[in-house]
Amino acid sequence: MRSVLFAILTGLVGAALLHIVIILTLPQFTGKDAYTRVLGLFEMDSFFALSADPGPTGLANDDPFLRVAVCGFSIDGSPARFRASGTVPFWSLVIYDANSNEVFSMNDQTSVNGNLDLVVATPIQLVELRKTPSERLAQSIMVEMPEEQEGYAVLRALAPTGSFEEAARSFLAESSCEPFSR
Amino acid sequence: MFRIPLLVALALCVAFGVGIASAVSALKATVGFGAIALGPWTAFPDAQTAKADPYARAHRARAGQLLYGGAEGLQFTAAVDDAGATLVSTCRYDITGLTPPARFWTLYAANANDVALRPGPELPSAFNALTVLRQKDSTFVIHVSSRAQPDNWLAVRETTGAFKLVLTLLDTPTAGSSGVVDLTMPKIVRTGCGNA
Repeated sequence: MRSVLFAILTGLVGAALLHIVIILTLPQFTGKDAYTRVLGLFEMDSFFALSADPGPTGLANDDPFLRVAVCGFSIDGSPARFRASGTVPFWSLVIYDANSNEVFSMNDQTSVNGNLDLVVATPIQLVELRKTPSERLAQSIMVEMPEEQEGYAVLRALAPTGSFEEAARSFLAESSCEPFSR
Repeated sequence: MFRIPLLVALALCVAFGVGIASAVSALKATVGFGAIALGPWTAFPDAQTAKADPYARAHRARAGQLLYGGAEGLQFTAAVDDAGATLVSTCRYDITGLTPPARFWTLYAANANDVALRPGPELPSAFNALTVLRQKDSTFVIHVSSRAQPDNWLAVRETTGAFKLVLTLLDTPTAGSSGVVDLTMPKIVRTGCGNA
C-alpha cells in the first residue's frame, strides 16, 4: 500500500515538472501562433488584407469596424520599410517579432503628417542609415529590432460606418511593406 | 513479480495524465496573470509584450490572434454580468454608462472562442462611439437581446448560448496607465430572461 502511495506521489512530482515543461515550450510547437499563420498566407513583403471570414490560416477581421492587413517581413538582408497614406478616421500599426512580442506600435496621431512611414532595422543597419542619411527617409520613423530578424506587422484601419469602408479598403490596399534599399 | 513495473506504470500514468490535463485546463481557464478587472470587464495590457508571463505566452501562441499593441488600444472582454452570472443569449441585458477615455471604441458580441458573432446582415450586431445613440448626459444604454428593442439594440441569436461582450478602446491612455483601477466601465445588468 505504501509503495502505491509512493508511486502516485512520484507521479504527481513528475506531473508538476511536465506541466512546467509544457507551458514553457508550448509557444515553440503549437503551429497555430500568429506568426505561423501570417507566414501561411504566403505573402511576404506586402500587406495582405484579411477578410471577415477566417481563411485557411484562421486569421480574420474580428472587429466589425476595423479592417486589418498583415505583412510578414525579414530584416536579415536589408531594413524593412512600411508606408501608407490616406484619409481614414483612425489607423494603427504594430510590429511584432517572430515570438509575437511587441517591438513597436503607433497610430495616426503619433505619426508624421498622419502618414505611415516607418523603417525597421537591425542595430547595425540603423547605424549605417544614420551615418549616411537618405533624402527619402527624412520623414521616416526609425525603429530598432535588436534580437529577432523576422517578424510581422499588423495594420488596422477604422471604418465606423459603411461610408468609410471604401477609404479603409483603399488605405490598406495602397499600403506597402518592402525591403528598403537605397 | 509484476509489482515494480506496475508501480512504474502507475507513476508514469499519473505524471502524464495529470501533467497534460493540468496544462490544458490552465490554458483554457486563464489568459495569464496581469489582468486588470473592472467589474465584469477584464483586459490584459501586457499580453502582447515581452513582459508577458509564461502562461500568457503559451495562451497567445495557442490562440494565434492578432493582439493590440500598446499604442493601438486595449481590448476588454466580459463573459459575465455585474451580478457574476454568465451571459447567455436567452436573457436580455442593458449595458449602461460611459467608457473610459479613448479616441474611439467599438463593442460587439463574440462566442466562447472570441470569434465575433454575426447574427446576419439585417440585424444590428455591433456599436461604436459614432453609431451609438446617447442620452442628454452623453451616457448610453445598449440593449442586448435576441428580440428587437427600441434605441440601441445589439442583436444576438437566441440559439447562441453563452457569449462574451468585447469592448475595444482605441488609442486610450488606459493601455499604459497605472491608474486603471479608478476608471469606470459600463455596467452590464440583466433585465430579464425568456419571456419574463
